[in-house]
Parts: sequence; structure tokens; C-alpha cells
Amino acid sequence: MKNTIITLFAAAALLLQLSSCDSFVETDLPKSQLTNKDVFEDYATASAALADIYAKIRDKGMLTGAYTGLSLQLGNYADETVSYENASSSGAAFYNNRLLPSTTALQDYWNASYNQIYAANALIEGVEKSQNLSAENKKQLKGEALFIRALVHFYLTNLFGSIPYITGTDYRKNSKASRVDIQKAYEYAIADLSSAAEMLPALYSPADRIRANKWVCRALLSRVYLYNRQFAEASNEASALLNENSLFSLEQNIDRTFLLNSKETIWQLQSAFAGQNTQEGVAFIFISTPPSVASLSPELFQSFAADDLRKSHWIKSLSSGSFVWHHAFKYKERDNTAQSKEYSVIFRLAEQYLIRSEARALQGDLIGAKEDLDKVRLRAGLDKTEAVTADEIINAVLQERRWELFTEQGHRFFDLKRLGGLDNALSPVKPGWNTEDRLFPIPEAELSTNPNLQPQNPGY
Amino acid sequence: MNNISFYKDGRALYCLIFTGILLSFSSTFASNPTRLFKSIFQQHKVQGNVTDGTNPLSGVTIAVKNKSNVTVITDYNGQFEITCAPYDTLTVSYLGFKTAFIAVQGRTKIAVKLQYDTTTLQEVKINAGYYSVKESERTGSIARISSKEIEIQPVTNVLATMQGRMAGVNVVQTTGAPGGGFDIKIRGQNSLRSDANMPLYIIDGVPFSSDPIGHFQTSSPFPTVSSPLNSINPDSIESIEVLKDADATSIYGSRGANGVVLITTKKGKKGKTSFSVNSSTGAGKITKFPDLMNTEQYLAMRRQAFINDGLAQYNDWDYDINGTWDQNRYTNWQKELLGGTAQINDLQGTISGGSEQTQFLLSGNYHQETTVYPGDFRYKKGGMQLNLNHISADGKFRITFSGGYNSQNNNLPAYDLSFDARYLPPNAPALYNPDGSLNWENGTWENPLRNLNAQFRSQTSGLIANTVLSYEIAKDLTIKSSFGFTDLKSSETRTQPSTIYNPAYNITSARSAIYLYGTDRSSWIIEPQLNYSRAIAKGKLDALIGGTFQSQTNDILYQTANGFSSNSLIYNLAAAKNITIYSNDQTQYKYQAFFARINYNWQQRYILNLTGRRDGSSRFGPGNQFAVFGAAGGAWIFSHENFLADSSWLSFGKIRSSYGTTGNDQIGDYQFLNTYTTSGINYGGMTGLQPSRLYNPNFGWEINRKLEFALELGFLQDRIFTTASWYRNRSSNQLVGLPLPGTTGFPSLQANLDAEVENRGLELTLRTINFNGSKFKWSTSANISFAQNTLLRFPNLESSTYSQKYRIGQPLNIQLLYKYKGVDPQTGIYQFEDLNKDGIISFPDDRQTAVDLNPEFYGGLQNQLSYKKWNLDFLFQFVKQKSRTYPMGPAGMMSNQLQRMNQTWTQSDNIAPYQIATTGYNYEAVMGDYYYTFSDGTVADGSYIRLKNIALSFDLPLGLQETGCKIMLQGQNLLTMTKFKDGDPEFGGAGFLPPLKIISAGIQLTF
Repeated sequence: MKNTIITLFAAAALLLQLSSCDSFVETDLPKSQLTNKDVFEDYATASAALADIYAKIRDKGMLTGAYTGLSLQLGNYADETVSYENASSSGAAFYNNRLLPSTTALQDYWNASYNQIYAANALIEGVEKSQNLSAENKKQLKGEALFIRALVHFYLTNLFGSIPYITGTDYRKNSKASRVDIQKAYEYAIADLSSAAEMLPALYSPADRIRANKWVCRALLSRVYLYNRQFAEASNEASALLNENSLFSLEQNIDRTFLLNSKETIWQLQSAFAGQNTQEGVAFIFISTPPSVASLSPELFQSFAADDLRKSHWIKSLSSGSFVWHHAFKYKERDNTAQSKEYSVIFRLAEQYLIRSEARALQGDLIGAKEDLDKVRLRAGLDKTEAVTADEIINAVLQERRWELFTEQGHRFFDLKRLGGLDNALSPVKPGWNTEDRLFPIPEAELSTNPNLQPQNPGY
Repeated sequence: MNNISFYKDGRALYCLIFTGILLSFSSTFASNPTRLFKSIFQQHKVQGNVTDGTNPLSGVTIAVKNKSNVTVITDYNGQFEITCAPYDTLTVSYLGFKTAFIAVQGRTKIAVKLQYDTTTLQEVKINAGYYSVKESERTGSIARISSKEIEIQPVTNVLATMQGRMAGVNVVQTTGAPGGGFDIKIRGQNSLRSDANMPLYIIDGVPFSSDPIGHFQTSSPFPTVSSPLNSINPDSIESIEVLKDADATSIYGSRGANGVVLITTKKGKKGKTSFSVNSSTGAGKITKFPDLMNTEQYLAMRRQAFINDGLAQYNDWDYDINGTWDQNRYTNWQKELLGGTAQINDLQGTISGGSEQTQFLLSGNYHQETTVYPGDFRYKKGGMQLNLNHISADGKFRITFSGGYNSQNNNLPAYDLSFDARYLPPNAPALYNPDGSLNWENGTWENPLRNLNAQFRSQTSGLIANTVLSYEIAKDLTIKSSFGFTDLKSSETRTQPSTIYNPAYNITSARSAIYLYGTDRSSWIIEPQLNYSRAIAKGKLDALIGGTFQSQTNDILYQTANGFSSNSLIYNLAAAKNITIYSNDQTQYKYQAFFARINYNWQQRYILNLTGRRDGSSRFGPGNQFAVFGAAGGAWIFSHENFLADSSWLSFGKIRSSYGTTGNDQIGDYQFLNTYTTSGINYGGMTGLQPSRLYNPNFGWEINRKLEFALELGFLQDRIFTTASWYRNRSSNQLVGLPLPGTTGFPSLQANLDAEVENRGLELTLRTINFNGSKFKWSTSANISFAQNTLLRFPNLESSTYSQKYRIGQPLNIQLLYKYKGVDPQTGIYQFEDLNKDGIISFPDDRQTAVDLNPEFYGGLQNQLSYKKWNLDFLFQFVKQKSRTYPMGPAGMMSNQLQRMNQTWTQSDNIAPYQIATTGYNYEAVMGDYYYTFSDGTVADGSYIRLKNIALSFDLPLGLQETGCKIMLQGQNLLTMTKFKDGDPEFGGAGFLPPLKIISAGIQLTF
């Protein structure tokens, strides 16, 4: 009996000993993860965190060239493209102007955008706390992150109206964020872009214009100023770029405009791997009829002058019997090639001419305005503009923007919207259009998880 | 810290232990001969047979009283032969019969007739995990089914075998596709996280992770990702015990909150080596399709929609109605795409036997199953199971080994065709051209069979092994340890070849892609234990202390490749131009615990059971890793009291109760870390790093407090046996992925929420033996569960991210819907209650009608009948619940509709159950339909009664010695009675294959 008890106690003691060793439940970091702190103590990993945001902009959300992005869906929503997707697809919802608070494509835009903004803010905070990064590197990384933050917010506010402008990573604050009006959002974006332009160098690094530098920030600045009706500032920013002849010039051969090494490109998104071309190429080009995704709208095709080079070079037509379909052919490559030939262009110089032209006209510089407009017209093989009065010039610019910038990230929709022309332009051709469609609905899940976002946009 | 490295390599440790086991075998064998010699000394041979009065009984144990090492078992004809002393007494025992004591008195031939004893069901040992307990003496709530119920069901997933047979256990099949999963809830939903309500599975003592394997990108034919439980073969299971209350689950501490499912595999029995072969073949078809429109009805609806919209001309793309497609054509797409017959074949072989000291069982099985889809798709599953038991000659040392290996191979279309089957217009073109190629009808449709070219393949192999060593150190004290190991490898692929596109698009294999997801999950566990048992005063004390050390690693590789030179090389990554690795990760989970149990049983009248566990998990951040859980249970068997001992009608009576805590740590690994993860995506020559999650290190265990009262009564020698249990479980400190607005950058955050969820319910079971004659026997068992789930507390629900998901005082599984008011006779549009009276229907203010979708009650009714050599067993399963119907979008668009949608509103017929048809142009109607989809107009009675299982078997009277042959006919889901119109009522996943009804015939040979 005595032995039994001794054994019992010995064994119990042994077990207790083992189980009191709490460090057993400590584990190593998983092999795919790095602590936040470590990421920003090394320039290579900090750059990888930034690279990931660019990759996400390319692949997800509003600016992706894939068919889910604004280039196609805002084309469907306005009058640039006709959707052939089945009735339950999001393409059909855009095309019929039947967006609902529950439309998943909208939730995807919203979530992907704020995820990109979170990553930018996390990068800004991480870089600021870093001990080892050089001041130069810090400026570079932070500047690019500020640019991204402004860029994404700019598109969000143009789609959804008043939106939260998020500048930190604290979820307690961000989950209760309130909406700021469009005016305010522009002010924040201008502030972010101005400091980013200060911080970033004028040279591209790497040279293929795939990361933001000073010029990229200023290109967006000129657009934000224009949208915000600050015409002098818009004109100044555009001029800065247009004067930078060594870097930028209009490609006189219109077929070179969207090539990877085009001198016209201010900022483009690199493909995921060598040999891949743009997702726009996949989304827009079709080689059999009827198209399965979308074609250019007949009205857009008809609106070009017969001798407009853009009609013959940036559009391709396919016919079957008496039917003819057209697709955007700015990007020529649909499949992979030995080396990538085209990247997805977000900012290019032609837009800067058109921005300055409009801004000049609105400030009364009609000669300057016409000069800028003609730069774009002449390159397209057209004659100089016949517009005389300021109103005529502004209308001519709007028309020119439709021809020059079609199927590029929704310029057409945004131009009609900021100039108050949506109802006039769309009501005749879009039976589903109504005036409240100018704003997308705030996604349903957002309204229910953050009551501060109430009320819903009108009409939904 | 030093011992960490020792634990790290679990496999090496396991090998070491196994070597130890082999060594221990050799020493016990060595000491055997002398012992055997002694027992042979006094010889007297007795031959005999055992019957129940008419039929011989096989498998009856005959032992010599007071000589524990002399035992034999009767053969198939009830014959036995035993060697004993002439003055010995034989103990003849058999489950379900009263034990007989027969004095040999020098006889050499003895005929034994056993008396049926219904009360012995109370003597069954119930597995409670770390210990086992007699059915009559248990203090906890444990439901059990045995191989008898499992074997008669033609199913492949272990969870399917439990459907309708256990009170408080609600099992729902999520797809009829082979290899798909089941959803199980034991006493309701405890956690707000819908994916954190899985029970803990323990197979032969080894925890088996039920975390899903694979990825939705690769598991696309299923509504959920693949379940690892498929790698358990139901035929090799001896019993399944489900632990429900605190008394039974607290010893599992942090992992017991959602109940524990204990699976025990079959063991060998001493006696003659027996062989058994079981083969069956069957066929399966879909239980029920919803009624869809035929061409005539469909085209009428379409034409009406154009009229309603005021459109005079059909568009170029309205192929169904503008004459492009043949308007006289009709295809029942559900029948065409899902109406096939699945063939099911099953083969199983078992060899078992053993001596007094060592027993073994070896079984192998093979199962294959085709699908109801067109095309050649197949699910194959094969495996083997080995069990070994050994006890040393002195009875002090025991070893038990059980190991199972299972391999599965599944090949399915990469997309479930159910979606196409519902939505394709009924006059859509023919599938094939006359030459046998796919018909694309000049690009006017996407042929649904294109998806058969995209394939899902999965290969899974699983190994589960456990060894238990025990040694009786002293008379009352046993030291014991189990060593378990599991390994699961799974590789899933989904292809996206260029052949899924219309060849006119000119897409080549350069665009073909494959997605691959590989999982390698292995774990080891060591659980040392001390058991102490002795009589103290007029009672018996059982005590147990033990510890657990468990480590699990999970390796995943998720990648995609595209750009193949040929589609036939699509499975060869070397032939791909681009390979992208999305994720390659290794995660580790470590778990440690210390547990104890004290049980005191006073004269089999008063029983007290105390259990507790302190455990720690690597899933929590520093400072939050450890927690203590415990429970107390008690029982009073009042039928053993003197005043009732002689009762002629009451044979058993027990009151039991328990209270205690358990926890829940199902949150995934590393959620407390603030990290960046590689995204696998390139930009500017760099591979991206992305923020992993929102950072919150301060979360801890979810706590579940369980209370139970139960009454168990047996009447007329337990021929009527009934139990009633009432429980109340409250889960607090809810560990949730708090859904966050997208503005935070992430959809959710890991945190503890001070919310409380209550599950309350009543479970009743009844077992009756209606007839127990020598030829005809009939018994019935029934169970019914009433459950109520309530959200008791939720601070700041209104301003929280859950504000439109939950309501305090309502169940978690509610849906907030618009209140449907019918069709406006003037406009023909659906009308809804404008709750906030602002003149428009809007979210969220008007979408506030809560509908409870939890079952009100559910249960099963089983009957077992036997007449001579015939056996019939059938089970009705019933559920009373509300379900959502599946509206299929606005009627009038170019997709098929439920047949009842032909009653849409028109100008002339302005009283109609459904609103005006539209081609999509009528904005009011589109919005009306959208609101309708989220209104209580879609709530219907989803109750059903289903003949879940029926099995008929016949023992062929071969007249051969020791040879049996049984013929079986089994059916699953054969009959369903329901008012639900939109397909199968059991299952809630529109767009996925409903469960199948299966008939199978089989033969079993034993010799």
C-alpha cells in the first residue's frame, strides 16, 4: 500500500511537471509571414509591401483592366459599350443601369479599394516608425503610398459620392468612419498628392513608368483640380507635365500610344509576369461573333468622323451576315507574347492636353485652349477645331475626350457627370437610365455594419 | 525550453514508441509457455450448445467461474467445447441475455438455454473518452449508435450514419455530389462564428481535425470546401458516442463546447478465426426536383414580358424568342443534366480472431460511386483497418493498437451543373451536333456540357493510428498512456481548359489553366494517465489524472499554372508557361492540457462525478493561452433503493444532473499576430507582401456553461425504457471574426465580444420491445429534440456590425426580411410593408421582419423487426422547420422559372399570386423582385418526414457448419413527405446537387 501511494505521487508529480511547462504551446512564426516591424526595417521587404498594392490595383477593384474594372463596366453603365453577358451578371446590371445595394460588384469595388487604402496607410505608418530605413527611402515609400491613397479615394468619391476618407489603420476609428462630401474628399486628395509630389523624385525608377513619381502625382493633381473646378491650378499642373519634353511627348504614330515604351505614358501598371499583356486586351477584344462580353456601342462608333485615325486604328469591326460588331482595339494584344508588349496605361499625356484645354477655355484663354485641343485632333488625323466661343470649345473638348479616352477607366461617365450632362446624353439611348443613377448605391453590407454611413444615396 | 526540440519531431518520437511496443511484445511472449502448462494440468472436456430456446446462439462467452483465463466462445451453430475441472461452474454470458451459471458436475455434454434479459442493455459499457462507464451508472449525457445501425446504411460519410438516430444531434447533408460534406450541430449553435460550431472528433482516442481541406477555388463542385471526415470508413466503426453535457465534455476543456464525437473502430474477439466478406451494389438518383416551366409556358411568359414592357420588337440577343432558337424544342434540363443514375459498389472483407491473450481484426474495404451527371465521373475510396489487443499472462500489462489507412480518389465536373439545369431556357439548343461534337448554336449560347471538360480531381489519403499501453502497478492503480498519430494528405485540382470555351473564340491551350491545392496535415498526441480505483466504505472510488500534449502541423501549397502547349498536358506543371504560387505555408498548432476525474459510486445508488481540465493553446497570444474548465455531475438511481427494489413495474429509475464549463478555440492559427504575408503576386520584379489581418492580440477563450437535468425510467424489465433530458447551454465571451465595414480594410477582426448565446432544449427518447418471442421480435426506438436558440445579450448591437444580422431575444439563425403584402392589383408589382412610413421601401429600416429558420423539433423513429431468418429495420426522420424558397430572378427574363410563376399579374387578370413579368426594363418590377427575394414571401414550410433508411436482410438457411450467408436490401432517402415545393427540403444550397435516394443490394458471407 505504501509503495502504491509513493508511486501514485511520483507519477502525479511527473505529470504536473510536464504540464506546467507552458512554453510547450509556443509556436514559431508561420513560414509565409513576417512581423509588421520586420517588414519596415528592410528596404526590400518594405518595397515588396508597396509592390503588392500596385499589383492589387492592377488585379482587383476599380482600376483593373479586367472586365470587372471600371474601363468596361462604366462603359456599360454609360453609352460606350453594349453588354452581352447573361441577365444575372453584373455586366448586365451595369448596362441596364440596375445597380442595387446588394450588387456584389459594388461591394467588391468598395472592399478592394479600402483594402488598398489600408495597405497604403499601413505602409505610411510602418515607414514612419522604422528605425533602419534611410530618410531617402522613407520619402520614396511614403510618397508613393500617399499617391495611392489619393488615387483610390478620388475614384471612390466619383462613384459613390460622399465617402469616408481613411487616413489611418485603426479599425476602431475606421469602422465608425463618417462620409465626407466630394468637395472635402478632393481637398484631402489634393493635400495627399501635393505632399507626395514633394517627396517623390522626378525620375522613373524603374524606367518603365510602373511606379508613381513626381509627374504621376501631378498628372492626378491636374485632374483633381479640374474636377474640383480649380482651373488655374489644373492648368498649372498640366503645364508642368506638358513642358517636360524630355520625358513626355504625344506619339505621332497613333498605334504606338499604348505600347509599353510609349513616350505618352505617364503611369502604367505592369503585367503579372513577363510575356503577359493587358487585361484590357482580354476583356475588350473578341474574335468571334456575337461577342460574349461586350462590344462598343453603335452610337459611339457612328460619332467618329470618317477620317478619324482613332476610328480606324483604335477600333476593330467584325461582321456576321448583316450584323457588325465593334470592339476597342487600343490594346492590340489579347494573348501572351514572348515579351510583354503592352501594359495597362492609367495616365497619359493626351489627357493632360485636354485638361489644360478645358481649363484654359474656362479661364478665357481661348487661343491656348484651341492649341491644346488641336494637338490631340491633329494627332488623330483631324483638322483643327472649328470651335470659336468658350462654350463651343468646352463642348468640343468634351466631345474630343469621348473619342480620345473611350474605354479608359470610365472617363466618359465622369466627364458627363462633372459637366452635368448625364441625363441629356444617356436618357435617349439608355431606357434604364434615371437621374439618380449618377451615384452608385452604398453597398448594403456597409450600411448595416457602419450606421454612420446612413443614409443611402438617393434612389436606392 | 530544451524539451521543445524533443517534441518538435513527432514522427521520430512515434517510431521510437512503436519500437518499444514491439520489444514489449517479445518479453510477454517469452513468459507464456510455463503459464499455459499449469492450466492444462487438471483436464475435463465439456462439449455443449447454447440456444435461446429455439435458435442456436453464436458468439456466447463461456467462462469458468473464478478462473479468469479459461474462456471460449460458441461457434456459428452455438457449439462450444471447454476444458475445466469436473467440479467447476461455467458462466455463460451473452449480451441481451441473462447470465447463466451452470455447475459442470462431471458432465461432458451440456445444453444451455439462455433467458432474454432486456435489462442488460443497461450493462453496456459506454465510451466516455478517457474512461468508460456503465450505461446505468453514467452521470453525463451521451448518445450512442453501434455498428448494428451503421452497417445497414449505404452511406460513405460517418456523419450521415447519425442522421435521425440521436437526440440533440442535427445533421444536414450539404450536397449530393460524392465526397461532399455534412453539417452537424450538437445542441444548437453556440458560437456567433458560423464556422466555429464543429464538435471535437476523436477516433480511437486521437483527435481528428475536421478543419476543411482544400480551397473554394479547387473544391468548386461543393458548396463548402472538402471535409476530411470522408477518410473514415463507416463500415469499420464499432460505435459512435456523442458527448453532450458538461459532465461528459468538460474533460475535453477548451475543445468541448460544441460536443464531442467519439468514434471507436471494431476490435477483434477471441475465438476461432473468422472471415467475413460483404459486397453490395446500388443505384442512386436525385430525391426531388422543383417543377420548372416547359417551353410553352416559358415562351408565353417571355411574350407577356415583352408586352408588359411595351417592347414591340425582340432584341437581336433574345435568341429564345426571336426565332433564332427552335420554339418547339423542349428539354427538361434537370433531367438531362442531373437525371442520371449513380452506381454504387461496395466491397468489404474482415478477418478477425485471436487467443485468450491476443486478438486481432484486419479489414479492408473498397467503395466506388459514379454520379448523376452526364459523363464519366467517379468517386473511389479504399482502405484498411487493423486492430490488435494483447494482454500479458498475468493480466497486468495491456496493449491496444488500432490503425487505419484510407485513400480516396474523386473525379467530378469542376462546376455543379445544377445551376445550368435550373436556369437554361427550356427551348435552348441541342447539346450535341449530329457529329457528336458540342453544339454552340453559332455562339448564341454557352453549352452547359462545356463544364464537363473542366474537371475537379482530388486525391486524399489518411492515416490514423493509436497505441495504448497500460500497466497495473498495484491492485488499484493503473498507469496508462496513449500515443496517437494522424496524417492526412490531400491534393485537389481544378482545370480550366480552353475546351470550355466555344471553339469560335479561338482560345487555345495557351489560355488553359489549372488550380492546385495541396494539404499535408499531420499531428501527434501523447496522453499519459493514471487510473485509481478502489472500494471505500460502501462505495467505489474511481480517479483519473492525465495530461495531453498535442502538436499539429498543416502544410499547404496553393498554386496555379497556365499556358499549356496542349490540353492533354494540363496536369503536367512542367508543360505550363507560367506558374504562380498563391500560397505556400506551414502552420503549427500546439495544445497542452492536464485533466482529472473523480467518481464515487455509493452502493450503485448515489453517483458523483467531478471532471476538470486546464488547457493551453497556441492559438492565443501570450497571457491568454491557458484556462481552466470543470464540471460536476450526479446521479441517483432510485430504483435501487429498498422501497422500490421489489417493484414489479418499475425496473429502472435514475435522476441525473450536471453543470460545468467548456471552451471553444476554433479560430484558426496565429490570429493574434501582427504580420505581413506573401501574396504570391508579382509587381516590378518583386513578390508582394500584404498585411495579414487587422491586429488584435487580446482575445481569449469562448466559455460555454452547460446545465442538464435528466430522468431515465425503465418499466417491465426495461421493455419500455424512456429518457428525458433538459439542458441549457450558455456561451459567452464570444470569440468572433467581428464583421467590419470594408472601410477598415478587412471584412473582419478577431475579438472577444461580451455577447451571450443560449441553447435550451428538451430531448426525449423511448425504446420499447413490443414483441420478444422466439420467432418474432419487434422493437421500436424513437427520439425527438426540441431546441430553442436565443441571443441573450449583445452590447451595443444597434451600432455594431451585427446590427442587421441579429436581434436580442431571437435565435442566431434568423433572417431579417421585408414584410410581403402581396401583388398590387393596379400596378402588378409586389408590395411590402413600409415600416418606417417614409413612402419608400428601403434597407435596413423596412427589412426588419425576423424569421427563425432553426428547426422547431426534429427526430427519428426506428423499428426493428425480425421473423425467423428475416430482419427488417427502418427509420423515419422528421424535421419541423421553416425554409426559404428559391426565387429565380424576375420572371420574364431569359432564364427558366419555377412553374408556378406562370401565374403572373397581367392587365386582364389583375389578381395574381406573382407580380408582372418583365424582360428587365421595368425598373419597379426588378426592384420588386429584389425585395421579394429578401421578403417573408419566400418563407415556406420546409418540414418533412423522410424514410431515411430501410434495410431488409435474410439469413440463408445453408445448413453448413460455421458458415453464414446473409442477403441484404438497403435503401436511403427512399420516401419524402413534404409540402416544400422547391426541391429537396433537407438541404439549403440552391445551385448544388440535392441528396440522392439510394437502393442497394448486398450479400454477406461469414465463415
